[in-house]
Amino acid sequence: MRISSLLIVLLLLGAAPAHAHVGSPDVFYEGDAGPYHLVVTVRMPKVIPGLAQVEIRSQSSEVREIQMTIRRLSGFGYSLHAIPDLAQRSTEDPHFWVASLWVMETYDLVVRIEVDGPWGKAEVGVPLPAFAQSTLRMQRSLGVLLFCCMLFLTIGVVSIVAASIREGGLPPGVAPTRNDFRRARIATFAASVLLLVVIGLGNAWWGVAANDSQSQTWASNSPRALPTLQPDGRLLLRVQGQGDFWAKYIKPETENFLPDHGHVMHLFLLRLPYMDRMYHLHPRRIEGGSFAENLPTLPAGKYQIFADIVDSDGMPWTATGQIELPNISGAPLSEDDSQASGSPLTSTKDDATVAQLRDGGRLIWERDSSPLRANVPMSFRFRIEDRNGKAAKDLEPYMGMAGHAAFVRSDSSVFAHVHPAGSVSMAALQLAQASLPPVPARVNGLLSGKQASAHAGMRMPMDASSAEISFPYGFPKAGLYRIFVQVKRSGCVETGVFDAHVQ
Amino acid sequence: MVASAPFDNWWHNAYGLDVTILSPPHVVLMSGSVAIDIATLILIGGVMNRSQGRLRAKLRRLFLYVGGIFVMHACFFVSEHTGKEMLHSATAYLIVSLAAPVVLVGVARASEHPWGHTAIATIYTAGVLAQLWILPLFPAQPKLGPVYQNVTHFIPMAFPLLLVVPALGLDLLWRAASAWRAWWQATSAGIVFLVCFVFVQWRFASFLISPPSRNRIFGTHYFAYSDTAGFMYDPYQFQALESTRAQFWIVMTVALVIAILSIRLASIWSDSLKQIQR
Repeated sequence: MRISSLLIVLLLLGAAPAHAHVGSPDVFYEGDAGPYHLVVTVRMPKVIPGLAQVEIRSQSSEVREIQMTIRRLSGFGYSLHAIPDLAQRSTEDPHFWVASLWVMETYDLVVRIEVDGPWGKAEVGVPLPAFAQSTLRMQRSLGVLLFCCMLFLTIGVVSIVAASIREGGLPPGVAPTRNDFRRARIATFAASVLLLVVIGLGNAWWGVAANDSQSQTWASNSPRALPTLQPDGRLLLRVQGQGDFWAKYIKPETENFLPDHGHVMHLFLLRLPYMDRMYHLHPRRIEGGSFAENLPTLPAGKYQIFADIVDSDGMPWTATGQIELPNISGAPLSEDDSQASGSPLTSTKDDATVAQLRDGGRLIWERDSSPLRANVPMSFRFRIEDRNGKAAKDLEPYMGMAGHAAFVRSDSSVFAHVHPAGSVSMAALQLAQASLPPVPARVNGLLSGKQASAHAGMRMPMDASSAEISFPYGFPKAGLYRIFVQVKRSGCVETGVFDAHVQ
Repeated sequence: MVASAPFDNWWHNAYGLDVTILSPPHVVLMSGSVAIDIATLILIGGVMNRSQGRLRAKLRRLFLYVGGIFVMHACFFVSEHTGKEMLHSATAYLIVSLAAPVVLVGVARASEHPWGHTAIATIYTAGVLAQLWILPLFPAQPKLGPVYQNVTHFIPMAFPLLLVVPALGLDLLWRAASAWRAWWQATSAGIVFLVCFVFVQWRFASFLISPPSRNRIFGTHYFAYSDTAGFMYDPYQFQALESTRAQFWIVMTVALVIAILSIRLASIWSDSLKQIQR
């Protein structure tokens, strides 16, 4: 019991702040299913229920089989599962597996991945915050085809009604009278009116169904951040939910948001339009359910707000908003708060791959010269050098992880808070791993029994001997992005600012 | 039915898989199914009306059988709104009044069989009971998640509505009312249908909610894998679809009016069916 408690504490200490996103629905995860190291990309469907594509890269080529199921992350429905879907191994790359998975419901789901290989079977749970992204308009060609079908069927029905009234009651071979024709004309008119009414009602119903689907999308349910600047320089932030889920299930005033590392909110302030200033702050919850933060010294300007929170079911949300701030002479940054400055982000700038750190060290983005492409999962690798150009030896965990990265599109339409374990919420990840069965010991004895289970899916928070960090992520669409990469060295948070043109 | 396929496929891409019986593309499909039912009745009716003796009797049995299938289709379309937990609400009876009497009465009267209503309702009941008792014999497992119910076999549709009782009432009424004026017939038949149906189905729903019904005969313990019964709602508790007593009686009155109107419509339709010669 004590060992379990200790493991849970270690798990909590090793967790990172909650992931949330804006405009970046795909899920990226890197971690271990017992002895098997995996990089998982879940390409979420645009609509729900819809088909997700799961891509898995296994470090080991000796994996024999990968299968997966979808369940609820928490509460009822997490213990039972459907017949697992089998992933197919690529014929060209034995490390690469793909599967299609139906995402049938919205909200907090988890895909449980079971790996079978030389060290036995092991599982990992990857949380899926599932929301429809959008609804589609009908293509003109299909619209024309269906309209023609409707016209043909309508005319057919009216003709059949008319024919049956005109001559249905006559014995075979008997010609209809003038009276029969008159009755048929009346029937034609009545049937036409009736069908028009039916079609009109059907069209209205279609509109209601389309609106209902739209109300289930992420855009209709993502919360807003309503900021107020107090005279004493304190920023008050109220989370205002919108859409069905907030209306029915989440009351921002009373919701028990899950804390990560003692922070119930991770607030990113980005000065617009050039994103030349970034503040990563951690407001605290105050009476009434709002959040408050004593702002540090910052220059005047309009700021974009991205506020990450995780509700009590493990569902990550990003509340967004904007605020015009005057010059503020505030308190020095404290605890885990951090800030960064960069040159203005403009489309004419070249991609930046080297960031100077305060002590003369450098943060280097190790990327090749090939262009960055949207919707391609990548491992963003960064090397930290000290002032002598050597691998930095003074790295420390920053809020429990080797590093944090924020990917922001220049128009603020994309925001993703990513960690070395990927874009998944670590709070949700803990829920996902909690019900996993123990995994078999690896032959070399690295992990065994409950220890392996407790660490399933979690990377070691910090490898002190390494001066490299990597983040699995993929840009959701083309455009100009700014990437803020944060590490902690000798007690100070350092932020590297990088720019990327994505095709 | 063919036209519904591209429509439904587009719907899945535009709004997601419509995991429901009633959605616009599914209703287009159902319209095709109803059209086939009606066309079959017309085809049989044309021959039946021109025939005599044993052939006519045979065709009449076939006609009634198709009527039973038609009632089965109609009740299936509205089955999401007539579950056992809804049968103490007037809305469920309003929906049954919309779906069942027009088919039941229309086909029964067109057949001119003295027990036509009862025969059609019996065929419907037998069909639904057959699937209720046979489907669970075959093993099955859910292939999609999340899974809320431990399913190990096929899950059938619910126990049939007790339409056979109002059908019997309509047959008995028709013996006395065959010479009445059309609107009197429709009014009396609407009242008989709804009163008989509510009287037996209301009491039977109380039984279906109770533990003795949770067996293979009545099948109230079957739940689809995706059913959140027991988590999000209590499947053995009635749902009040009307919030006040006044609302209940208003809806029930509307149900009666619809039953009367649909039976009047069924009479017109049955007269047309009886006259079909080709």
